[in-house]
Amino acid sequence: MKFCVLWVPDFRLHALRRSDATLAGRAAALIIGEGRKATIAEASPEAKGVTPGLAVTLAMAQCPGIILRPRDPAAEVEAQRILIAAAFSLSPRVEATAAGCCTVDLQGADAVRTEAQMRICIRELVKAGLSTRIGAAATPLLANMAAQCAGPLLIVSDTRNFLSPLPLSFAAPTPAQTEILSGWGIRTLGDLTALSKADIAQRLGTEGVTLWERATGETTRALRHVEPSRTFEAEWEYEPPVESIEPLFFRLRAFAERIAVELRAAQLVAEELTLTLFLEDETDYRRSFRLPEANADLDSWLRVLDSHLETVRTAARVARVRLVAKPIRAPEKQGGLFDTGLRDPAAFWENLARVSAIVGEGRVGTPLLTDTHKPDAFVLVKPTELVPAPADPPIHPPRGLRLRRFRPPWPAQVELAEHRPTAIESPQLRGEICAVVGPWHVSGEWWKPKAWAVETWHVELREGGVYQLAHTGDGWRVEGVLD
Amino acid sequence: MSRLATFAALRSLVAARFPDRTRRHGDGVPTGVAVVDDALGSGLHASQLTELVSEVPSAGGQLVLARLLETTRAARQRLALIDAADGFAPEAVPPDTLKHLVWVRCRALADALTVADVLVRDGNYAVVVLDLRGVADRALKKQSATAWHRLHRVVENEAPAVLVLTPCPLVPSVPWRLVLRTPHGLASRRLTQEKLLAQLTVEIARGHATQTVAERAG
Repeated sequence: MKFCVLWVPDFRLHALRRSDATLAGRAAALIIGEGRKATIAEASPEAKGVTPGLAVTLAMAQCPGIILRPRDPAAEVEAQRILIAAAFSLSPRVEATAAGCCTVDLQGADAVRTEAQMRICIRELVKAGLSTRIGAAATPLLANMAAQCAGPLLIVSDTRNFLSPLPLSFAAPTPAQTEILSGWGIRTLGDLTALSKADIAQRLGTEGVTLWERATGETTRALRHVEPSRTFEAEWEYEPPVESIEPLFFRLRAFAERIAVELRAAQLVAEELTLTLFLEDETDYRRSFRLPEANADLDSWLRVLDSHLETVRTAARVARVRLVAKPIRAPEKQGGLFDTGLRDPAAFWENLARVSAIVGEGRVGTPLLTDTHKPDAFVLVKPTELVPAPADPPIHPPRGLRLRRFRPPWPAQVELAEHRPTAIESPQLRGEICAVVGPWHVSGEWWKPKAWAVETWHVELREGGVYQLAHTGDGWRVEGVLD
Repeated sequence: MSRLATFAALRSLVAARFPDRTRRHGDGVPTGVAVVDDALGSGLHASQLTELVSEVPSAGGQLVLARLLETTRAARQRLALIDAADGFAPEAVPPDTLKHLVWVRCRALADALTVADVLVRDGNYAVVVLDLRGVADRALKKQSATAWHRLHRVVENEAPAVLVLTPCPLVPSVPWRLVLRTPHGLASRRLTQEKLLAQLTVEIARGHATQTVAERAG
């Protein structure tokens, strides 16, 4: 799995329910349009018999007591922020694809850990009032399809088997294409992909080919990444102003949920919370709470806020509320006097695993020179948690410029005069040699079938640049530049 | 000896033994190369990108990297080297100066930038070095500015200093760009590292008006 999609069905209604305490557990629906033209856009599961597209009057007849509400853009922004924050806990490369939908680039992520994190993500979002589905697959499109079929998590490992039974509508055909394909008896993506691409191209043209590629899940695209939130604050304006604690606490809970998820995604914790109540008489009430222990734990924050709010008396009604969390790095361990260990071991090892998956196994680590004179002989070992105290400086410190290697070395033709290089010719480098030092003969492992021997020269080109040449049985190579 | 005198003696002993531990938080990370540190004020700036351009071969870029490894090693700070062209030669530096190094051997420029994005956010590294020397010119020029702007945004919110080693001016809107333009010859092979570093000429192309450190001093 390279991508995953977090998708919240009926996102606008979920966002509304998060922001309005009176909708909790009640039959509710989101309406679009006005007056007699108003119809149901999204309905809660409690609203029995109410489906999207139904006229409002019919919906009220079907489900007496149903609460109807228009869209609330501020609530949607708040809900989208918590969804994006949850997506950042999976990977730093996140796209806000649409309202209630995020696509995440999982390149380099550990599959087992990511799956566990996805489940945590779903639990957190459900707790925050967003019933989320996650689909993971090889392309963003496939992941999107998987999210729509997920219950609540679906990881697609066998693309063909996953796609075959899906209805054709998943590939988003145009009405004209639907009509033609329906006439051919094609109902599923499997039916369509059973036909060859060439046949589809011949009969339906380039649009048909695009449809066929979508049906096979081959279509991919670059994500438009968004930045994670760096300000951990939230603000809400009450209309009309409130005078009791319940709506205030309901709103603060939603804020705290979102900020806690954002902090955890950024591997931070809150050291201090600042609550500001803007009153109707244009004064404000501000209070900062220094947390006993820096954390991103929602329950402990709510305990602090709740116990304080119960004692607050204000001169006027509350018109606006703001909650700000002051972030710090999580103090994962107690620092010793001269301790230079890892500040955040979990992030360190997790990120190394991620990097290893990006660049390939065995290409990340601390280099350790092997006990041989063979050039470029080293192994990469696991970095230590504690950087040891430095050793005494070497008795014979290296002199001159330092080698930067060309891997693989560049094959070259070298002209010789009196057994010394005078000119070099290779696709990457050519020129007349004005100064030469060498050769140094090194060989080893003569007792093994693959004995090695190399003759090394340092040469300076007339145009500038000092290079290391190596001459072996296979010819000349430019091993690197002395820089 | 009174208790206060004992504490004072202990403090001065610690300060003498671990000079780097006593520096203030938020300071730059010294590279150990006088001309570079002077040009930047107090070494590489935390939460900022610094670009070091090696415009000619053998200009001393690898020498600066070797010294930075030594300096961070002495301070027991962790350094990540994201090696886009896989050119770092571990045998070219003393083995002890590798113990704090996390070396990432990339295969492509895109991988290197993705890895930089991950490691800069990590929080465990004092310095992240992104070495782009050796990457094909075409690939470097094809790289969209968006990737660099994204890296800028990430870096400014994180603690490590980020050094980008490039073969030509590359990073748009970089706060500090230093240029190495003077090639060394074979004659330098007998010189100690100190003498070679003392001979380095660094031009400040961004951060201050274009002038050499020697000109600024004189």
